[in-house]
Amino acid sequence: MVFKSIKRLLLAFALLWCGFMASAQHQIGNGRISGDFGFNGMYYIPDSIIGAEPVDSKVRANAFLNILYSNGGFSAGARYEFYMFPLIDFEKIGYKGQGIKYFFADYTNKFISVTAGTFYEQFGNGLTLRAYEDRQLGIDNSLLGARIKLTPYKGIYIKGVWGIERNNFESYIGRHDYVRGADVELSFGEIFPIIQEKGFTAHVGANFVSKYELSDQDIYYAITDSTGEYSTAVIPQDKIPENVATWAARATFGYEGFRLDAEYAHKINDPNITNDFIYKPGNALFLSATYSMKGFGIAASFIRADNMEFRSQRWAYYNSELMINCIPAINRQYSYQLIGDYSYASQCNGQIGAQLQINYQIPKKSVLGGKYGTDLTFNYSRFHDIEQIPVQEAIDLGTPTGTMGYTSSFFKFGPDLLYQDIGLEISHRFNDKRWKWILAYNYITYNLEILQGHEGMMRGHLVASDLSYKITPKHALRLELQHLYTKDDDGSSIYAMLEYSISPNWFFSVGDDWNYGNPLPDHKTHYYNISCAYVWNTTRIALNFGKTKEGILCVGGVCRAVPASYGCGLSVTTSF
Amino acid sequence: MKKSIIIILCLTLTISVFAQEAKDKHLAKLPAVEIQDLNGNPFNTKDIQNDGKPVIVSLWATWCKPCIAELLAIADEYEDWVEETGVKLYAVSIDDAKTSARVAPFVNGKNWEYTVLLDVNSDFKRAMNVNDVPYMCILNGDGEIVWQHTSYAPGSEEEVYEVIKSLVKK
Repeated sequence: MVFKSIKRLLLAFALLWCGFMASAQHQIGNGRISGDFGFNGMYYIPDSIIGAEPVDSKVRANAFLNILYSNGGFSAGARYEFYMFPLIDFEKIGYKGQGIKYFFADYTNKFISVTAGTFYEQFGNGLTLRAYEDRQLGIDNSLLGARIKLTPYKGIYIKGVWGIERNNFESYIGRHDYVRGADVELSFGEIFPIIQEKGFTAHVGANFVSKYELSDQDIYYAITDSTGEYSTAVIPQDKIPENVATWAARATFGYEGFRLDAEYAHKINDPNITNDFIYKPGNALFLSATYSMKGFGIAASFIRADNMEFRSQRWAYYNSELMINCIPAINRQYSYQLIGDYSYASQCNGQIGAQLQINYQIPKKSVLGGKYGTDLTFNYSRFHDIEQIPVQEAIDLGTPTGTMGYTSSFFKFGPDLLYQDIGLEISHRFNDKRWKWILAYNYITYNLEILQGHEGMMRGHLVASDLSYKITPKHALRLELQHLYTKDDDGSSIYAMLEYSISPNWFFSVGDDWNYGNPLPDHKTHYYNISCAYVWNTTRIALNFGKTKEGILCVGGVCRAVPASYGCGLSVTTSF
Repeated sequence: MKKSIIIILCLTLTISVFAQEAKDKHLAKLPAVEIQDLNGNPFNTKDIQNDGKPVIVSLWATWCKPCIAELLAIADEYEDWVEETGVKLYAVSIDDAKTSARVAPFVNGKNWEYTVLLDVNSDFKRAMNVNDVPYMCILNGDGEIVWQHTSYAPGSEEEVYEVIKSLVKK
């Protein structure tokens, strides 16, 4: 068994090696080969205090290789992924296996573009369709099938897609579900050049996306209501829609520094596990208005999503498993260590909220601005759940399953606050150019119960400072200090990180995240980390050793759980 | 299994080394990928050019701190660089629908003079074989990639400046 898998592995790599030897030539006829790969490995050490459990194999790694060939309008590519013994967080989400799950051939000219194989695609803001990848999170929602893009006339763009959605390393064979869709966009500025000459931009677009999934079994679904009472509902197979359609319409209008975007999406009845198999249609509205001029920018956006989880299979529920669309989490994204766990995750089945961001640069050469100016960023965001009033039928039956579920008035904020962030960031470069300083304050309210399944609310004050000093033109030091003050969840923490870099090749850092306020005395842990990285053109090799806190990793509002871990990691990425 | 991981690691390392050496032999051009300008109009990346003068292409995002640090550091010098070499910087943001609407206010708020483009579903990033941002490359007057780099360490902008200066001298 082990022998077989190693043999298979060697074979796969022999193939890759051939591919690489070809790629080292880079040039085949008029064509060109390029690629990239990554290796991310870790040696795990058990640690009972932080909850790092002993893992069955201590050495684990994720690895992939992309090869792309292009020749004029033709291109083709493939990715080999080796996740047989993946990092434990990938193991937990089922991203485990190996093989070539991404491969395509594409031909593009001025009027038409045809892709066969796997592809990524997004219609509008992604409210109805967003096939994408995020390697850090282990998300790959690519579609296997075909795509066609047409440009019949300047400013008119038509897209059509058909495909089966990728589900980690599961086989496509025997699947009874697929996705198809079409999108049209009109860019008035291109169709009527006069509009563009006058400084206006105007686009409209519309799309239709539908999924098919065979229904050959009755659905039995058990639910506990708020009183703890159990009830089972049955939906006969012929009552389950095999086709679920969504559509969306969008418009953009801009004039000089001003821009307005709007998109509305609607989904017909889609009983699935994430909505307790109700028949209520879903909808989503995304609005965004921005204005900016040199030195000043303001952006306001609004989102409401109601029953809008749209997945290839009705029983899929885990994180981004088989998600066809993506409702954007419009809050500001932070990369501060201590509030990483309290990043908002978009709630596709029920959220309403708004976000406001203002950027201002105190002019250069003014008293407050100094020689290089001072940047200010103010941010406010607030998200609630939506109002949900159960329909009479659901009350009578004692379960929403099989009914229209609930009603909800459109612009009403629901009773539960999900997330709030008030923040101010000041970024200053001193007259002595070697010093730079970013100072930030955030007050964050985060609903632990709905977003993480723990109890209560987290209210915390974060103060973060990021000071850099260029010792010589090539040597620099950067000191990050953060303090999160909270009485909730795991309590307060303090974080310090010192990074020393020698441009352009070397990075060294030491950091410690000390959970000094943890209510459990023996859990006041130091999560320390030491790392060293070497960068050579497009190759990066990094080594680190330390402890990672159990928490949430979020990239752009999409989150997944990260188990606690302790050990030594090595990562290599390169492109050629 | 430990063995297989070690094999992969060794392969990865050798490939990295060879890949870096092979790089200099043939100068590649940018792939032609349809992305968007700040007004949401389609923009083909083959149109990234600067009338025979050098071009810097940066892949960045509003949520990426080192990317912003790098673009800020260049912003301080940019006026001088343009005057001296005629260089043009294209800052291609990989912000997706969640944050792409805030790119324009962000850029204007920072007072950047760069040409900013939007790669909302990472199509250009993928075609460029870029794993992580920040990523930066320099094109010579013929649009060939002569230098590329990932990560940002304070001071690496000096190297960027040296490269573009040498291109202009030629």
